[in-house]
Amino acid sequence: MVENKILTYSSSPHVKTKRTTRFIMANVCIALLPSCIAGCIFFGLYALLLLSFAVVSAFLSEVIYKLLEKKNLNQIIKEFDFTSIVTGLLVGMTVGVNYPWYTVIFGSVFAIIVVKMLFGGTGCNLVNPAIAGRIFIFISFQSVVTAWVLPNFASINQSALTGATALDSLLKTGNTKLSLLDLFLGTGVAGCIGETCKLALILGGIYLAVLGIINILYPIIYIVITGVFTVVLCDFNFALFLPSILSGGLILGAIFMATDYVTTPNTNLGNVIYFALLGLINAGLRVATKMEVVSFSILLMNLVVPLIDKFIVLKPFGYKKVKEGK
Amino acid sequence: MGKIKGKRFPYGIHVDDMKYLSKDAPIVKMPAPEVAYISMSQHIGAQAIPVVKVGDIVTKRQLIGQSSGAISANVYSSICGEVIAIEDIVNGAGQKLKYVVIKNDGRTDEIRFENVPDFEPQTIIDRIRLAGIVGLGGAGFPTAVKLSPTTKLDTLIINGAECEPYLTCDYRLMIEHADEIYRGAKYTAKSLGINKIIFGIESNKPDAIEIFSKYSDVEVVSLAKQYPMGSEKHLIYCCIGRKVPIGKMPFDVGVCVNNVKTMIAVNHAMESNKALSSTVLTVSGKGIKKPMNIRVQLGTPIKDIIEFCGGTCDNVSKVIAGGPMMGKALINLNHYTRKVDSGFLFLTDEEIDDKQPTNCINCAKCANNCPMRLMPMYIESFALSGDYTNAEKYGAMNCIECGSCAFNCPAKRSLVQSISMAKAKIKEMKANGRK
Repeated sequence: MVENKILTYSSSPHVKTKRTTRFIMANVCIALLPSCIAGCIFFGLYALLLLSFAVVSAFLSEVIYKLLEKKNLNQIIKEFDFTSIVTGLLVGMTVGVNYPWYTVIFGSVFAIIVVKMLFGGTGCNLVNPAIAGRIFIFISFQSVVTAWVLPNFASINQSALTGATALDSLLKTGNTKLSLLDLFLGTGVAGCIGETCKLALILGGIYLAVLGIINILYPIIYIVITGVFTVVLCDFNFALFLPSILSGGLILGAIFMATDYVTTPNTNLGNVIYFALLGLINAGLRVATKMEVVSFSILLMNLVVPLIDKFIVLKPFGYKKVKEGK
Repeated sequence: MGKIKGKRFPYGIHVDDMKYLSKDAPIVKMPAPEVAYISMSQHIGAQAIPVVKVGDIVTKRQLIGQSSGAISANVYSSICGEVIAIEDIVNGAGQKLKYVVIKNDGRTDEIRFENVPDFEPQTIIDRIRLAGIVGLGGAGFPTAVKLSPTTKLDTLIINGAECEPYLTCDYRLMIEHADEIYRGAKYTAKSLGINKIIFGIESNKPDAIEIFSKYSDVEVVSLAKQYPMGSEKHLIYCCIGRKVPIGKMPFDVGVCVNNVKTMIAVNHAMESNKALSSTVLTVSGKGIKKPMNIRVQLGTPIKDIIEFCGGTCDNVSKVIAGGPMMGKALINLNHYTRKVDSGFLFLTDEEIDDKQPTNCINCAKCANNCPMRLMPMYIESFALSGDYTNAEKYGAMNCIECGSCAFNCPAKRSLVQSISMAKAKIKEMKANGRK
């Protein structure tokens, strides 16, 4: 009976939500599944191979790092929180099928070891590991991957074209040679594995929003501002609005990468500023460089987050501004 | 039953209220204990000084502890019997307090005050001070001190929010003893010289709202079911829209807040001439056989209460004095009822959460739910690295320790624990600085 039992002792509160980091990250994985499946359907088995390589190498590099930290297996299993799986999936989803298989392994290992674990593991990274991993691949293997599948500005048959041409013609004429429906569904669109099927990405986003894991307003701010600012920069060519939103990795980046908890500000106002700036930088750089820059804009803004957090702090309940001076 | 809408405050959280366990159990009077352990510190402020000696025969409601100092309260015996010990005991919550131990001799007589000569404000305050009444909502601040404010007040708010999950004693009192609460509130308002009385009741207690709507000269405000509605600052904001400035008290905005249980004690002191010697508790949780609302004599050991409520189930793993959000977990069962207790909860493994903390993932759930609008993650990291100056800069001292942040934390971090440690350290720093 209770008299002889050792009671649990801890600080209040004694009841808590059932939600854990592991639950949240597992649900992000679930939300990513539709677009992974869509990618495998569009790009074939090699896409599946790339995804699995990315996930397995991300997972293994985390485990090995922890083993080197002299943690025992039990502890590693207890600490396992699906973040490495999410990172691996995202790295796999942001490469094209013309990439050699070993590139994703380099990307995942770089993302986990250098970007995440060396900074202290989950929650301590400065920038989103998956984004850093993707950019690592992008920059390192330019000599290997000669024909870049340019993020779905062009149809799959034009993949030999250089990206600049396709994006340039899009921004000048608003003519993508692809119907908007094709862009939305990802049918016959060239691009990275996970970013072509917008429908699947949006489904995943809605799933996360319904569970309350992300605030759906923030990705919408990012996407809409990108579209509007592209229109403004291209002489108010309103025909560009939808194609610029639906093309490239924008929706994938907005829903799954920019909303990463670790690298977003901590206040609502801070978040609005962060996502609005993301949209502006993204549109501006796209028009200026004629390149797909979603991952670069997120990487850049990730580094601005500590600054936003320093200056935007909540005011306590009942706060009144204290007069300066005396 | 239609859903009643209630006033809300920004932020705050929704907690499963679990009140169904003991909501329909009428208040039962528990027999006096064999041995009562009466603490001399049942309130905020200085400990009372024992005025009895070992071997003395005392009668129920006889003064045994004299208040000492401006913020303190009298303590009365809750049973008739012999004083067998006066000693320091470490209770279940880990506090070392002076206890007067009285062995029951079975007599049933008791001492009462004389009738009050008049109902002038000062007479009422004197009677409340004499009867040893303190805030029975959990804080235990001596009521007489609260009723002698330095500023002009205009509103008395009676706190019937009872936002803590599980607890139902205030609710039962409101539907069973509405009249006594009402008259107690009238006396209290009179002592403050004000007419405006507002009852703030959460909308999950529609019958209580209905009962108090009958009285024509009080106002009833229906509050949303939101945690922590019972916090003074948020209650005032929801009832009359005033914000208590940082570091100020309710009386700075012309408001006095009292709990419904305190009002009953005031009524008893005024009309039945009784000193405060018993309190109403909720005994609940899935780990107790019969969840109940009971009126117990102060000083009753928790073991007697367990026995009275049919014993505990085998899977109890945590015993809490108070509510699950702000209450204290007990180390052992050497705990004795005090004025500030509002319930004892016996929680099982499935109800409590004892997951180990993991890294903060910066999700800002704590900041987005903090009713005081602080940023707990910063305060916590500063507290853990020993940087108390910065912890204070981020508002550690404004924390009301409601537990909303830690409730929502997916990384299961002990935010409240770190913040209260920071608060203690900051106080210490300031005290040292002043010397």
